[in-house]
Amino acid sequence: MAYSFPEEVLEHVFSFIHTDKDRNSISVVCKSWYAVERWSRRRIFVGNCYAVSPVIVTRRFPELRSVALKGKPHFADFNLVPEGWGGDVFPWIATMARAYPMLEELRLKRMVVTDESLELISRSFKNFKVLVLSSCEGFSTDGLAAIAANCRNLRELDLRESEVDDLSGHWLTHFPDSCTSLVSLNISCLGSEVSFSALERLVGRCPNLRTLRLNRAVPLERLPNLLRRAPQLVELGTGAYSAEPRPEVFSSLEGAFGSCKELKSLSGFWDVVPDYLPSIYSICSGITSLNLSYATIQSPDLIKLVTQCPNLQRLWVLDYIEDSGLEALAAHCKDLQELRVFPSEPYGVEPNVALTEQGLVSVSEGCPKLHSVLYFCRQMTNAALVSIAKNRPNMTRFRLCIIEPQTPDYQTMEPLDVGFGAIVEHCKELRRLSLSGLLTDRMFDYIGTHAKKLEMLSVAFAGDSDLGLHHVLFGCESLRKLEIRDCPFGDKALLANAAKLETMRSLWMSSCSVSYGACKLLGQKMPRLNVEVIDERGPLDSRPESCSVEKLYIYRSVAGPRRDMPQFVSTMDEDSELRLS
Amino acid sequence: MITFKSYDGETFDIDETVAVELKTIKHMMEDGCAGNEIPVPNVTGKILAKVIEYCKKHVESGKAEDQAASDDLKAWDADFVKVDQATLFDIILAANYLDIKSLLDLTCQTVADMIKGKTPEEIRRTFGITNDFTPEEEEGIRRENQWAFE
Repeated sequence: MAYSFPEEVLEHVFSFIHTDKDRNSISVVCKSWYAVERWSRRRIFVGNCYAVSPVIVTRRFPELRSVALKGKPHFADFNLVPEGWGGDVFPWIATMARAYPMLEELRLKRMVVTDESLELISRSFKNFKVLVLSSCEGFSTDGLAAIAANCRNLRELDLRESEVDDLSGHWLTHFPDSCTSLVSLNISCLGSEVSFSALERLVGRCPNLRTLRLNRAVPLERLPNLLRRAPQLVELGTGAYSAEPRPEVFSSLEGAFGSCKELKSLSGFWDVVPDYLPSIYSICSGITSLNLSYATIQSPDLIKLVTQCPNLQRLWVLDYIEDSGLEALAAHCKDLQELRVFPSEPYGVEPNVALTEQGLVSVSEGCPKLHSVLYFCRQMTNAALVSIAKNRPNMTRFRLCIIEPQTPDYQTMEPLDVGFGAIVEHCKELRRLSLSGLLTDRMFDYIGTHAKKLEMLSVAFAGDSDLGLHHVLFGCESLRKLEIRDCPFGDKALLANAAKLETMRSLWMSSCSVSYGACKLLGQKMPRLNVEVIDERGPLDSRPESCSVEKLYIYRSVAGPRRDMPQFVSTMDEDSELRLS
Repeated sequence: MITFKSYDGETFDIDETVAVELKTIKHMMEDGCAGNEIPVPNVTGKILAKVIEYCKKHVESGKAEDQAASDDLKAWDADFVKVDQATLFDIILAANYLDIKSLLDLTCQTVADMIKGKTPEEIRRTFGITNDFTPEEEEGIRRENQWAFE
């Protein structure tokens, strides 16, 4: 029985449907549903800012309130994307300023955000509430001053891991006295001192503040005053956690923490002095998330801290924790879901800590809910990986970074094919995988055969031939993002699986063996893909067809080739012959 | 006591406290446009009975003060919407016309739950909707959805 509801009823039904996938499904059901859906959509997520244009977005969705955009590919985090590549958000802001005067939320990741963009945001959106700049760059504290001064209803200002031209800490004073709406403030990436009195007053007059991540320059002695003004905090990032050992500072800290009954997440702890750590013990039983990746303290102190947190769900820590610390973690933190272990000395030649594959095996044995792992280490065995796989078939994200490329199983000297093969075979819900160590084409065969839910794969210094790439492109049905560096993959697998590339968000290949000719051919064969060659060695048109390109970034797009490319980026398409000559 | 008369002539005597849950009726009463017998032309007797049952239950339960009472009411609501699709849709239209917010929310949420997680084809089949896109139009929207907005 076909029912046609009045539009307002259909809109009311749709108001209970939120996920991107569901909203996209209802838009395709029939014409009237498409129309009601596009008028009632309030939030979108654009995983690749070049896959669509601001004009297409504003034309389709006239009433958005919340926009999320991602710019540079993930390997930009490892400095593989040259300066000036793109990802400038300004064209988006300019278009949205006209189309969405009621815009409330902007979440940007790996985009270039200038002060001009920030100023335009602050002037254009009267009800602007949320600004999250994750791993962004291009702006200074002047831009932040504009946001602070003009966004009267600001709830969230989160600068996580952005690179900010830190001219002075004075920008914070631009929050007017009438601003009482802050819920979340994350300035942990800033270098210079902010005005402490302005910060204290701001914190004191925002009763709904639940997240406060300070920067390193906020000294420990200032922390108790801040905490006393915000006992309702749920997430706290401290500044530097060091001072001369003074009992009155300690007891002030301890008292201040004691009154924060809602704290669940802690971070910061730069330069932490072990003597001051017990000041947080009283709240440890409530802690579910602990980020100690800046805490340069040794294993015994880490163990003392971690064993106080029985409800810990997420731990980010330096490898100072060592195998013994991870064993203690496994014994005490049975709710652990996510573990990230970062290297304290990534460029050192010799191991500086007693952290081996055993630490990860212990945690995989002891923590039944562990499903997300990022682990930097210097040695691994197939046996350890097989254990981890069998212990944790519920693993969804597994990123292993053996620091030295092409390191084999140190006991058998074999490649780690069997170990990673066990991971993909047993962990049937695996969505993200990063590989390292010595790996042959056989490993990729395992991935293609078993990793059916894998969405993102990162590969470096692995494989023997094109067959490796072919296994992945051919077998991984759910693959969305593939990033490859320094692998002997060339033209064959890429051209044979060209159609696959339209089913993925993007493919990145750098320092591989893909020829300029193959890139041109791919661009011609697949007009809906943007095949972008990144090559800083000079103009491409004089190159022989067989020459390998430095870097290749291929992504599907409904917006055609982008028009903001720098000199060193060229799009391969039907017209590329004309454009390059 | 107020009497409602449905589209097909059925009459229902209900308490004033229940009648005012139907905002449309409440406004009529406040404006003095309602006599002893209020006609409800857009709603059949079968559906009006269900609407009144819902309003009676919610007025009786009042503001569910404790967790147990609140859970009971939620369970009652969940049972209330276990009806065939045609009846559910008629209740939605009635709730919309009579401006009963909580009933409209409940029934629209129920329909939304029938939509979530389904493919477009499954949604069309569930609700008997004809696809009036051309294959090219549909393909274009799907591509834009998947490539740009997911």
